[in-house]
Amino acid sequence: MNAWRHFLTAIGVLLVTHALTVWALPRVIMWRVMTVASAETSVAGTFLPPPTDHTARRIVMPSPDLLYATCSFSLRDGPVRVSFDGHYPRYWSIALYADNSDNFFVTGDRNATDQPRQWLVSTANQAASAVDRVAERRITAPSDRVFLLMRLLVNDDPTVLADAERARHSLRCTRTAES
Amino acid sequence: MLKGTTLRLLALYTCAVLLGLASAWLWVTRVGMSGVDAGQWRVNLLAGSTRADAYTRARIAIFALLALDRRETLYYTTDRDDDDATLRAECTYSVALRPPAARWWSITAYAADGFLFPDKAHRYSVSGENAQVDADGRARFLIAPQSSPAGVDARIATSGTGGMRLTLRLYQPDDSLQRAPQTLDPPRIKKDGRCVS
Repeated sequence: MNAWRHFLTAIGVLLVTHALTVWALPRVIMWRVMTVASAETSVAGTFLPPPTDHTARRIVMPSPDLLYATCSFSLRDGPVRVSFDGHYPRYWSIALYADNSDNFFVTGDRNATDQPRQWLVSTANQAASAVDRVAERRITAPSDRVFLLMRLLVNDDPTVLADAERARHSLRCTRTAES
Repeated sequence: MLKGTTLRLLALYTCAVLLGLASAWLWVTRVGMSGVDAGQWRVNLLAGSTRADAYTRARIAIFALLALDRRETLYYTTDRDDDDATLRAECTYSVALRPPAARWWSITAYAADGFLFPDKAHRYSVSGENAQVDADGRARFLIAPQSSPAGVDARIATSGTGGMRLTLRLYQPDDSLQRAPQTLDPPRIKKDGRCVS
């Protein structure tokens, strides 16, 4: 009887371990990506990796047709304002990812045409307070830690690359003054 | 000193934990990604989605981290040619496709580890911007090892040996394709000649 009890408990341990591993995998991978990105951010809160080639081995399946910019930030100390003032006539997008890797927000050149482009990223609790005083879109993040990935479509034309560089340099991820 | 019964229990629970870890890893990495097929190509409609189940989320994190939601991008992938043979980095393939209904598309080749093949000429992908479309409306190009005779003309150059995966990215796909991704006219992949050893 005792042996059966231990056997059934072991099955339970197996199942729980299995479920926890599947649950934790994306979170551990995102934690690593966000931690590495945080260590390399500039004053503007961004990291601007070099154009993608075969030496880009940090994130699987990089697109060689895109130039990237990233921000990694925590919302524990208050909301974060994301702004992008650059003009880029080709495809670009800004995507936000939760700490479990879910893409919970995306915008781009088609639906963010007005200048200045500003978004206030906050948690659900922060969203209830009056943290923003300027007209901007408020985005509620499902997690405290957020990863932002900006994509800009480029090609081999040096003019296009220069335009994309200028555009991504205008990306800002900064803590709001109210926090 | 631990008694025999305690040791046996310790071994039992250690095995349970290890089996739990191993089964999760195998399930996530070995069981194919679910999704919708268009020919040999498969697209997972929950990639990047907040509605993804735990297994899909884990697989995306390992094989396609930071994917965009389907409304922004559809990612079709394949590791097989039209004869249902596994794509190999040491073989030459001719690819033909009708430009898909999307704002922008590209096909990129990845090695088995999920990263780009080394190529000094940066021949990693073919896109709607640089593909030449024939009179019949199809873009045609070669994927070939750099060391092969066809490697000179290849639009995507591979190297080494082993498995290969192709990804077709459709940025801002048309509504019709978003609603019915299986209706994509799938890019044709034909093995072309012999493989280099």
